[in-house]
This record gives sequence, structure tokens and C-alpha cells, in this order.
Amino acid sequence: MQQNYHKNLKATKSAPLTYFTADANLNALLTVFVLLAVVCAIAFGSAMYSGANLQSMAFQIPEFGFVALGMMLAFLVGGIDLSIVANACLSGIIAAFILTGQWLPGMSDEWRIAVAVCSALGLSTLMGLFNGLLIATCAVSSLIATLGTMTLYSGIGMALTGGRSVVGFPETFTAGGIATVGGVPLIFLAFIVVLAAMALLLERTGGGRKLYLFGGNPVAALFSGISNFRMNVITFTASGFLAGLSGLTIIMRVNSAKVGYGDAYVFQALIVCVIAGIHPAGGRGKVIGIGITTVLMQMAASAFTIMQLSPYTTKLIWGLMLVLVLGLTRDGKRLLQLVRAPLKQRHLAPSVEAESADFLTKRNSLEDSEASITTTGAPYSAVNGQQEIDGKRAVLPKVNDKA
Amino acid sequence: MQIERSEVILLIIIALYALGVAVVNPAFLSIETVFDLVRTSSRDIILVMGLLLIMLSGGIDISFMSMALVGSYCATVIMMRYEFSSVAVLITLACCFGLIMGLFNALLVSWLKLPPFIITLGTMNLFHGLMATLAGTRTYGAGILPPSFNEFGSGYLLEIEGEYGVIGLSVSIIPVALVIVLTWFIIYKTMLGRGIVAIGNSEEAALRLGFRPLWLRLFAYGYIGVLAGLAGSLYICQVNAVYPDKMIGEELMVVAGAVIGGTSISGGKGKIFGAILGIVIIYLLKSTLIFLGLSASWNNLFVGIILVLSLSFTAYQEKMRNQRHLLFKVESR
Repeated sequence: MQQNYHKNLKATKSAPLTYFTADANLNALLTVFVLLAVVCAIAFGSAMYSGANLQSMAFQIPEFGFVALGMMLAFLVGGIDLSIVANACLSGIIAAFILTGQWLPGMSDEWRIAVAVCSALGLSTLMGLFNGLLIATCAVSSLIATLGTMTLYSGIGMALTGGRSVVGFPETFTAGGIATVGGVPLIFLAFIVVLAAMALLLERTGGGRKLYLFGGNPVAALFSGISNFRMNVITFTASGFLAGLSGLTIIMRVNSAKVGYGDAYVFQALIVCVIAGIHPAGGRGKVIGIGITTVLMQMAASAFTIMQLSPYTTKLIWGLMLVLVLGLTRDGKRLLQLVRAPLKQRHLAPSVEAESADFLTKRNSLEDSEASITTTGAPYSAVNGQQEIDGKRAVLPKVNDKA
Repeated sequence: MQIERSEVILLIIIALYALGVAVVNPAFLSIETVFDLVRTSSRDIILVMGLLLIMLSGGIDISFMSMALVGSYCATVIMMRYEFSSVAVLITLACCFGLIMGLFNALLVSWLKLPPFIITLGTMNLFHGLMATLAGTRTYGAGILPPSFNEFGSGYLLEIEGEYGVIGLSVSIIPVALVIVLTWFIIYKTMLGRGIVAIGNSEEAALRLGFRPLWLRLFAYGYIGVLAGLAGSLYICQVNAVYPDKMIGEELMVVAGAVIGGTSISGGKGKIFGAILGIVIIYLLKSTLIFLGLSASWNNLFVGIILVLSLSFTAYQEKMRNQRHLLFKVESR
């Protein structure tokens, strides 16, 4: 054990290549990524890997990627942010009103773009701040708080636009949405920059470490002098800022602003976070995981489009994927053992099966004593009673963490 | 039955708002408005009863609209194929489908031990996708559906001569009343209900008392499944058409109604009367914007304001209470 620990420590410190190998989840993610890439290459060939398709994928990734990054921040503190997309839409609408000259008329195009971008980002940050204050000062659970603000923000957007889309931006603005640098979309590069900045801030600075600590155990963090209030406010404000970036990207790309654009992103962002290994209970997960998973999702979406699946089937696949991934992250190791155990030691099979029928109530103890199930033979049934007592004791402290 | 302070506040808000609308538009104050409210809100009041039980257990379920849609849609498909025409068959089939889906939710929640919100978000899409793949996506209109659906959906229990013809109290109030009484009975008069409240307050304490969280969860999630089947059947009878994509997307409004009514997201706290009042407020806002001369697009704004105000008020009170008792609660979850 001690040796392993040192090995891991060394791995994280050495060359950037081994950055991936230190984390089991990232390894799995990369494997899936490579597998999917190969499968897509075999199944669709040039339809998937044509320059045009790759470019259109790169155009679509950022607007969703920003949402996923915002959701990741909320996940890291053990919360959830449902209001990101509503926030993005509202800030996009505000920017659109200024860009089309319906608000603050009589400015030159350049000034108008600058004011629109600043006000969109400023407003989205304010909306994030409002979320954070609601959660931190009133102690509203983030799920309910952002459910409320989601309704509120989309309500404001609806009241402003009446459900119609706002169109007619200056061309210099929309040019940003289709601009490329050496074939790579500008907005994609912006996404990469934000991703890298977030990775640096979260994983290489003291503030980021505090955020992880706070997410892992807020009460312990509180007693270590980390302010719960400040952490919550900062996290949700940053999430709001990312929503603003997403909103700007959306209106830049689709050339109009409207309430309800990208509503499905909330659900997809949750899936991305779960697949990327950001634990919903907080404190675990890496930014690079979000990057990989976002690309993965875009590839899958692209494949669905090529296969001409109906939106319902796509829904089915996303839902199935979420449940499967949750199940595998929770009990993947154990399921693998259930398959392996009968093969390894046939005479043990009955007791393992009995265990599996009952494992819903006892899984906590099983995690701690996985080795004993498969390796120790006859003593197992004799130890069973002891196991159960251990199981109860092991269950109790964990029960407390509610959703 | 004791009425809590938050419920009194809600009642005052409703009364003041109704008074305000009546001042602007006197046509609002009529028995017709009440009857209309009863009819349109019947589906969501049934659903919020199930949701209340789930939230009392410390969980949340947002797949109920999906279950209502899938249950009623699949039931209709089966009825069309085998040419049944009774509403009782529709409700029974829909409730059975709902029960199966609810139990599936409960098993997943107990197994994965992750936020039920995320799990039921997944199953919501899963159920809907499965339905569309297996049962098709055809729309069944008024001409195809058995006439008994419409008779049930627009039947009147009692009729009054109004200004613009006959107005009546919808038959829907019977299932609604039955469900409310049943839920009240379960929560306050059975060990099952007390157990659900107990695991919502503290699963650890409930476990030590001998309650079995798995069974209680199975019951709570199964119950909302059954209610979803009932509510879905009621809804398709009322609109007299079956669409493969209606209802989904309205679930958060029901959650909002429960929360406005004082139901705690962390479990163990919630009142039947409050939850009903929450739904009534939302439907009141929905239906009165026209009386005020505003378009329907202002709906979300008003619901959002009320939601944010009410939840920050109740949560702030709880925070103060926790501070007095030196309880260190985690704020973000």
C-alpha cells in the first residue's frame, strides 16, 4: 500500500504524459474515447472524419462545453446548477437587444459589440452571484435554489421577448462565430483557453485546492478556516460567468437569441459530468475529464445524426447511458467480481449468490471486504454473522449524506 | 388538523392576489373560475401528493411526468389494439405501468445511493425513449379514442346555470379527493407513512428503530408511479387526445408547487394542505394573467419570483434554527 502511494505520487509529479495514468477514471475515459473513435472510423469512415464534419463538430462543442464546465463547478461543491442554460439564454437575449440597437441606440457597431459583450458577461455573472447568495445566505439547497432562478431567468427572458427570437446582429459580430484560425474555429480555441485556465486554477492553485476540500467535506472545511459562504458564492458566480460565455457563443453561432434554446443541455451537462468522473457528492473530478467527455458526446451526437436516429431514440440512449454509467461507477468492480468469482472458485458459488441477492443492504461492508469474498474459502459462511454486524456498522455513517 | 404558519401565509397571498385580480377585472370573481381551477389543476394535485411522499422520504422524483405519459400512452395503445373502451381499464393499465416504472426508480435509487434527482432525470428520458421505440409515436385524436374517455373527462358532478350557459364541477374532483384522503391516511395513520417521514428526517435513526429504507422507498416510488398512471389517464381524458410528447417538461412546475407549499427538499417535512396550496397558486397565476391583461409569457416570471421568495424565506428560517442548535449544515446541497 505504502509503495503504491509513493508510485502514484511520483507519477503525478513526472512528465505530462503520465498525468493521465495516475487516475483510473481518466484511463477508462481515454480508453472509451479511443474505442469510440475507432468504431466511428470503421462504421462511418469519411462521413465522420471529413474535414467539414470535424469542423462543424468543433463549432458545436464550445456552447455546450461552457455549460458543462459550469455544471462541473457546481458538482465540485456537491451542488447542482440547473439555471445555467436559462442564464445563458437571458444574457444572450440582453446582448441581442443591444446588438440589434433596440436598446441603447445610436452607437457605432464596434462600440455596440463591446457594450453587448460586457453587459452579457456582467449580467450573467450577476445572475450567478444571485444564485450563490441565495444558496450561501439563505441556505437553500442548490437544486431548489437554481430551480427557482431557472424559472425566474427564463421568465424574465420570456417577458422581454414574448417568446420571439431576436435577430439582426451586425456582421462583424456574427463573423466571430464563423471565424477560423487555420481551419480551427475561433470559438473552439476560446473554449480550449477557458478549459486550460480552469484546469490551472482548480488543480494548481491554493484556491482550487480549497474548493476541492470544501466539496469533499464542507463541515471539515469550515472548521479548517475555509469559508462556506465564500466558496459557495465564488463557485456559483463562476458558473454564471461560464453561462454568459455559453450565451454569447450561442447567439454568435446561430445569429439569433431566443428563450428555450439549448434546454436539453442541462440534462446532457449532467451526463457529461457523471461520465467525466465528477462525483455528484462533491470534491472529486478533473477538468480534463470534462474536455474529453464533451468531445466524446459531440462524436456520439454526430454519429446519431449520421445514423438518422429519431430524437426519441437519442433520448433513450442518453438515459440508458446515464443509468449505466452511474451503475458502473458505483458497482463496476463488484459486478466484475460477481462474474469472475464463480469461475475462480466453483465451490464458493452458492454463498456468493446469496450475498448478491442481499447486497443492496450490505454493500458498504462488501466494499471494505471485497477480498474476503473471493479469496477466503470455507471460513466465509462462518464469518457471515460477523459480516452482517460489520455491515450495519459500516452502513450507518454513510447513510447521512442525503441527496 | 393543524394549520401551519406558512400555510396561513400562502392562504393570505392567494386571497390578496385574488382580490387584486378581482379589482382589475371583476369577471374573475365567479364560481366558474373555481370550477375551472379544480378541473385544470386536478392532474398536478394528484401528482404532488405522490411527490410529497417522496420528498418526505428525503428523495425527489422528476420522472413522474414521464411515467404519467408513458403509462397512459402505453395503456391507450393496448386498448386500441384489443378494443377495450372502458376508462377503468385505462386507469388500471396506466397504474400498472406506473407502478413498474416507480419500482424501477426505487431500486436504482437504493442501489446507486446517488442524488435521486440525477437518477430520475436519467430514467425520465429512459422511459420516454423506451415508449417511443416500443409503442410508437402516433397521436391518437378525438375521433379514434373511445367516447367513454371524453365522457369521463368532461363529465360534470354538479351543474349550475351560468351567464354563458351551463357550468359544472368536473368529475375529476372525485379521484383527486380520493388520492388526497388516501395520502393523508398513509402519512398520518400507517406505520408505512411514519417510516417514510422517519427515513426522511434521519435514515440512521430510522434504521436503528427497525424501519427498512429499501421497502419504504419501494413503496414511496411505487406510489408516485401509480398516481402518475392515474393522473396521466385523467389528463388524456380531459384533453381527449393522446400525444407522444405532451406532459414531459412540466414536472419542475409540480416540484415548484411542492416547494412553495413548504415541503423540504432534505426530507421529513411537508404538509398535504401546503402542497395543494402551492399547486393552486401556480395554476392561479397561470389562469389569471389573461384577466390582468398580460400575455402567457409572463407566467414563468411570476412563478419564479414567488418560488425564489418562498424558498429563501423557509430555508432562512431553518438556517437560523440550525444555528441556534449549533448544527452545521452543508449549504450547497
